[in-house]
Amino acid sequence: MTITDLMTTKKPDSKLRLKVLEKIGEHKPYNCFQCIRCTSGCPAMKMLELKPHEIVNLAKLGFIEDVVNSGIIWTCAMCLKCKERCPQEVAPVDLILALRNLAVEMEAKIPEGHLKNVSMILETGFILTPREAITRKLEKYSRDKLGLPKLPKPSEKFKATFLKALGTS
Amino acid sequence: MRTAVFWGCVIPNAQYAYELSVREVLPRLGVELVDLEDVSCCGTPIMSVNMNAFLYLAARNLAIAEKTGLKTLLVPCSGCRLSFSEAMHYLRRDEKLQEKINSLLKDEGLEYTGTIRMRFITDLLCNVVKKEYIQKLTKKTLNELKLASHYGCHAIRPSSIERTDDPENPRNLDDLIGWLGARSEAYPEKLDCCGSLLLWSHHDAAFTFAGLKLKAIQDRGFDGVVVTCPACHMMFDERQKAVASTVGSKLDLPVLYYTQLLGLAMGIEEEKLGLHLNRSPVDKLLEKIG
Ligand code: SF4
Ligand code: SF4
Repeated sequence: MTITDLMTTKKPDSKLRLKVLEKIGEHKPYNCFQCIRCTSGCPAMKMLELKPHEIVNLAKLGFIEDVVNSGIIWTCAMCLKCKERCPQEVAPVDLILALRNLAVEMEAKIPEGHLKNVSMILETGFILTPREAITRKLEKYSRDKLGLPKLPKPSEKFKATFLKALGTS
Repeated sequence: MRTAVFWGCVIPNAQYAYELSVREVLPRLGVELVDLEDVSCCGTPIMSVNMNAFLYLAARNLAIAEKTGLKTLLVPCSGCRLSFSEAMHYLRRDEKLQEKINSLLKDEGLEYTGTIRMRFITDLLCNVVKKEYIQKLTKKTLNELKLASHYGCHAIRPSSIERTDDPENPRNLDDLIGWLGARSEAYPEKLDCCGSLLLWSHHDAAFTFAGLKLKAIQDRGFDGVVVTCPACHMMFDERQKAVASTVGSKLDLPVLYYTQLLGLAMGIEEEKLGLHLNRSPVDKLLEKIG
């Protein structure tokens, strides 16, 4: 949905807008003057049609719910070029992260991979479990066999505190 | 010097070659590594889910590093570098937030005070170990090689927080390669992203990011790609065959970690540097080095 579509069919939500603003610290969308520098260097624009300047504009105007539910916020590759280059210090990527956090809070559809990261950390402390390396000659090597030290395991206390942290917003 | 080292998730669970080569090379350059106990994921992978939980993980790991009393924390993964630099920035700026996160850390008897200095691997090599020491220990010059440097987005951005390199024209890795006698030439796709963080939502697009970059490097006649991030390395090395199909061409490009390249120049045996674990055709490159 384009901005023009939204402006004619939807109403901005000022409460949600404030909620997003609270999450992004000093990088305020209202400093954006729509120069499109962020979008012109965005790798996800070329591949997945993400337009960070448009996300900034929508947030600025308060069309939060539509962005949160649109799925487009999950196309950002987190390369941070937009944050580096914005002449107004708006940091579109930080806004996108705030909108993703809000999508989780509002129980919108979240890509599996992101949810899996959370459950893996809860279970093992890491997003991956140790796996066997396979060489070019197809031999297998474990950490042990390579002489690398044992990995730490998360304590029950860590798991409980991590859960507590996940419960805060 | 002695430094704490934080390995993160990807290196100790999947990228053993990086861990092996760092553990092999740095002590010979006078850097003693101190492993940390009970650390976990750095937090970057859950920035998208919950910023507070991200800050908690980052601050928890930093607090564990601070507890060692060491002044420096070496970070060889650029994703972890992003987590720690952002967390340090947010917590320094906002006392209330720091209190909130510290009240969570108290459950495990930890406290984050913001006293440790983080150094990314290239920063440590360039600015602490330095050129003279590196060149003193190198036995082979690699002047046959023309190499493409790949920095990793989170190693150089955001630069506003702790600027160790130029975000639009980074030099650290190119200098490090040059000090070994190899040519590290500029190429237009140098700052392009490997795409790995898109794996959690847009798998095919992630592969296309990597494929396009590798194809460009190969077409420009480079002998190989040098990286310093385990996530980028996984995309370029282990997954090279799979990403090749997204750009419809054959990729046959050696990819290796800078610490492996450095180790080779220092005359260290290939296995000790984990070079048998690289999946890309590094043998081509090894032959050239001789
Ligand atoms: S670069 Fe900054 S000011 Fe320009 S359009 Fe993007 S967010 Fe707005
Ligand atoms: S961080 Fe995301 S929105 Fe910003 S330039 Fe990179 S891919 Fe685009």
